[in-house]
Amino acid sequence: MAVKGAALRVVDAVTVGGRPAASPRPPSADGAPDRSSPHRLAVVDATLACLARHGTLKTTVDDIAREAGVSRATVYRAFPGGREEILGAVVDTEMARLFSALGASMGAADTLSDVLVNGITEAYTRITTHPALTYLVEHEPEVVLGHLAFDESNRLLATATRFVGPFLARWMDPEESARVAEWSARIVLSYCISPSARTDLADRRQARTLVETFVLPGIRALRAPDASDPIDLNRYAADHRAGGPTA
Amino acid sequence: MTPTGPPVPETRQRILEATYTCVARWGLAKTTVEDAAREAKVSRATVYRAFPGGRDELITAVVSWATVEFFARLYEEVHDAVSLEEVMERGIAFAHRSILEHDVLQRVMQTEPETLLPALTVESNRIRQGIAEFLVPYLRQRGVAEGVDTGEAADFLARMVLSYISAPGRWDLDDPVQVAQLVRAELLAGVVAAAPSALPP
Repeated sequence: MAVKGAALRVVDAVTVGGRPAASPRPPSADGAPDRSSPHRLAVVDATLACLARHGTLKTTVDDIAREAGVSRATVYRAFPGGREEILGAVVDTEMARLFSALGASMGAADTLSDVLVNGITEAYTRITTHPALTYLVEHEPEVVLGHLAFDESNRLLATATRFVGPFLARWMDPEESARVAEWSARIVLSYCISPSARTDLADRRQARTLVETFVLPGIRALRAPDASDPIDLNRYAADHRAGGPTA
Repeated sequence: MTPTGPPVPETRQRILEATYTCVARWGLAKTTVEDAAREAKVSRATVYRAFPGGRDELITAVVSWATVEFFARLYEEVHDAVSLEEVMERGIAFAHRSILEHDVLQRVMQTEPETLLPALTVESNRIRQGIAEFLVPYLRQRGVAEGVDTGEAADFLARMVLSYISAPGRWDLDDPVQVAQLVRAELLAGVVAAAPSALPP
C-alpha cells in the first residue's frame, strides 16, 4: 500500500540517518535542492488538516493545494513525487514534532521519575489527541496498524529508544537507558492502542503512579551493584533449565 | 439463502477449520466463501447460514478462531506452572517461539498485514482481558506489593506480555536468562510483594 511504503521510508530516515530527529523541520530538509521550497511546511500542514477531515483515501493533491492556498503547480514544485511524497513528509514532520516536544518536556525534568512521567504523558497526549491520527485510527485503521505490530513495531520501538535513551543518561548507563527507553515506549504504545479504563496516562498524577509503582522498581531490580537484594538470575535460570520446559 | 435456524456448532467449527486451511494455502485476501464451502464439503448456503455476514464475517471469525486456538495452546503450556514467575517465563518463551514458528501468521503478516491487523486489533482487548484474568490467581497466591491493586497489576502484566511477544525489541526471548531477567524486572519488580526469590516458592 502506497501510504504505508511512504511512511516506512520516513521512519527509516529518522532511524538510520542519525540526523537530529528533534529538529522541528523535517529531518531530510537539510539541503537537497527540491526540498528547499518555502511552501513545504504549509503543504504538510494543509495535508494534516485534510487527513483529519477525510483520511488518506479521499484526500487529493487538489484538496491539499486548496487548503494550503497555493496552486497545484506549487505543490508539485515542493513535492515532485506528488501525493505519496507528501504523505511521507507528513509522517516525517509529525514524528519530528513529537520527538521535539518530547525532548523539550523530558529535558526540563530534574528527577528520573519526572523525566519518565513527562515523556510518557507528553507522548500519550500528543498521540491520542492528534487530529489526523485519530481520524485514521477510526476510519482507516489498516494505514496505522501496520506500524504497530510485529516487525514494524520493533522498528518503531528502536526509533523511540534511540531518541529517548539519551534523555535518561543522567541517571543510568547507556545500556540501561536504552532498556528503559524501550520499556517506556512499550507502555505508551500499549495504552495508546487500547486505552485503559483504570489509568489515564494524559493525567500526570496517574502517569506518576504508574511510573513509581511499576517502572522505577523494575529499573532498580536490574541495577545489581547498589540493589539491596539483587536477583541472582544466572542461578535461577540454571535451576529453571534443569527442571523447566526448556531443558 | 434464508436462515432456517442456528447452525450446529460442529458445522461452524468445520467451516472455520476449512477456512483456515484455505487461508494457509492462498492467504486471507484470496479466500472466498466458495473456497471455504468446498474445503468444508458443505454448500454455500450452509456457510451463509453459519456466517450471515458472508466473506467479511468469515474472515473476521477465522482470525478470531485462530487467535483462540493460539491462546488455548498457550494455556495448555503454562496451566500447570506453580508460581507467578514460572507462568510468566514459560508463557512468554512459548508464545514467542509459537509466533515465530506460526507459518500462516508469518506469511499473512508479510503479504497482507492490512487485512489481518484490524481483525487482530479487535481481538486484542479480549486477549488482554483473558491473560489478565488468568494471572489474577497467581498474583493472589504470590501477593502483590503494598498499595498495588491486583486487577490493575494484572492488566499491566497482560499489556506487557502482549507487547513483548509481538515485538521482542532488544530482548532475546530464546534466552532463558534474558526471559528471567525481563520477568523479574520489567514485569514483576513493582507488582509483587517482595523482591522475587531466586527459586520459585
